[in-house]
Amino acid sequence: MARGHRLPRGDGRAALAYLTPALLVLGGLMAYPIYQLVLISLFDYGQEQVSGGAPLVFLGLGNYTELLADKQFWTVLWQTVGFAATCVVGTLVVGAALAVLATRVRTWARTLLFLAALGAWATPAVAGSTIWLFLFDANFGLVNEVLGSTGFSWTFDRWTAFGLVAAQVVWCSFPFVMVTLYAGIKAIPQEVVEAAALDGASTVRTARSVLLPLLRPLILVVTIQSVIWDFKVFTQIYVMTSGGGIAGRNLVLNVYAYQQAFAASEYGLGATIGVVMTALLLLITIGYLRALRKSGEEL
Amino acid sequence: MAGIGGAETTAKKTRWGILNAVVVIYALFPVLWIVSLSFKSKDTLADGNFIPRSWTFDNYSEIFKTTEFVRALANSIGIALIATAVAVVFGTMAAYAIARLDFPGKSLLVGVSLLIAMFPQVSLVSPLFEIERSLGLFDTWPGLILPYITFALPLAIYTLSAFFREIPWELEKAAKMDGATPGQAFRRVIAPLAAPGVFTTAILVFIFCWNDFLFAISLTSTERSRTVPVALSFFTGSSQFEDPTGSIAAAAVVITIPIILFVLFFQRRIVAGLTSGAVKG
Repeated sequence: MARGHRLPRGDGRAALAYLTPALLVLGGLMAYPIYQLVLISLFDYGQEQVSGGAPLVFLGLGNYTELLADKQFWTVLWQTVGFAATCVVGTLVVGAALAVLATRVRTWARTLLFLAALGAWATPAVAGSTIWLFLFDANFGLVNEVLGSTGFSWTFDRWTAFGLVAAQVVWCSFPFVMVTLYAGIKAIPQEVVEAAALDGASTVRTARSVLLPLLRPLILVVTIQSVIWDFKVFTQIYVMTSGGGIAGRNLVLNVYAYQQAFAASEYGLGATIGVVMTALLLLITIGYLRALRKSGEEL
Repeated sequence: MAGIGGAETTAKKTRWGILNAVVVIYALFPVLWIVSLSFKSKDTLADGNFIPRSWTFDNYSEIFKTTEFVRALANSIGIALIATAVAVVFGTMAAYAIARLDFPGKSLLVGVSLLIAMFPQVSLVSPLFEIERSLGLFDTWPGLILPYITFALPLAIYTLSAFFREIPWELEKAAKMDGATPGQAFRRVIAPLAAPGVFTTAILVFIFCWNDFLFAISLTSTERSRTVPVALSFFTGSSQFEDPTGSIAAAAVVITIPIILFVLFFQRRIVAGLTSGAVKG
């Protein structure tokens, strides 16, 4: 504006006008609850305190030391990590394979592929979980019918239950990876691939030394996105294992926090798990932002 | 378009074809199976046939007879529509500022909205439960609409600012030079260019609100504001002694098929919206 150099405040005032509604909502509905979350996590806050039957006791970091000393917390934490890792690997392998497949087939086949994938993606998590439960139902499920194992319960055993949930999670999350990577592959100029072919590079060699490095930032982005999502899986575990499995052996952190707060009415402890989870995800997200910046995404 | 791989041979083509078919089955089959279940009569429900031997609409007519389901459907539609409208309007304003204006703290703002998108919703459930109870918002429409707006806003801002960056804003200036008023320039030139992005964002946000289960199960307690995903998880059949499988299947179809059709219809837009966040457009 003023003789070629920007005013120090730029369009600050106009921008503020446009941003105010969004900032108000985020401030009121994110910042304040987060403050409350941290506050609750410092108190012994259970059913009696909510109803006013008992005085509030300030515990300081009491809930945190109790949580860290709890064996179940560590079991659940490792379970969450293992479960999320399985889902991420499954999602990436299926999604990437399909992205490559989509570049190889004819237009009508690709359209069919995309339609099927988007259908799975759009299915509400509750409906999707129910569908998969029915598919694997002990008595009338099609899978048992085909395998001739009628009566076998997939959700009873800890590991088959986790496997079933993971298959469902992959089912509804691979479309995102597939669509994103497909767009990434399409954005690579054909000449690059042709040049590699002219230089005598084999298919595998081209994929490994030319395409993979070009796609690396994008792969990193979808990986971290998947890590964040799969770490937060709630609905599928809650619905498919009836709230965390028999004696809570299929719990993941998200469901564990919910169960502590709502089923056991230990709001203080539930909030503590929430804070710990937030901290873990924050670390992953910072990694994500750095990866984004590296991939050249404008922030 | 870059294709990976060398010369096409018939054997290779067949292999890709088979792989393609397997994927389509994996992705489509579960949904088709539940559709089939929902049309089965009570006594053929467990027969394991893929195609129902006797077709019936009983499951559908039954769930639409219960207020439990009808009320939940109305709640879902109303809550998701209102939350989407508000989130998209606020998001459009914020994204416009981010795409068009120069102000301090801009990259911080986008970073923060990304952080919120990553935030574990379950952490906010206990504090929101407390706050909503003290404000009398627990188990009401606004009680769900507000958290939905909060979590939809970052998604909206992020997707919209990716779209808005692509708009050739010089056209606005050109229109003004040709004698258009600012209002006309916006209505005739910018709005049509921005509309597809706004629309795509609205679809993504609507799906997010429609599919939510966590907030819906923890911030509601009665039919007054319970949405379909929660109602579905509470389904026990019209009487206590009845097997609810048929009803659950029908209810799952009712909440799934419209969304799938919607998504398929706007396939291109959705793909553009999904990739805008990850691929530099």
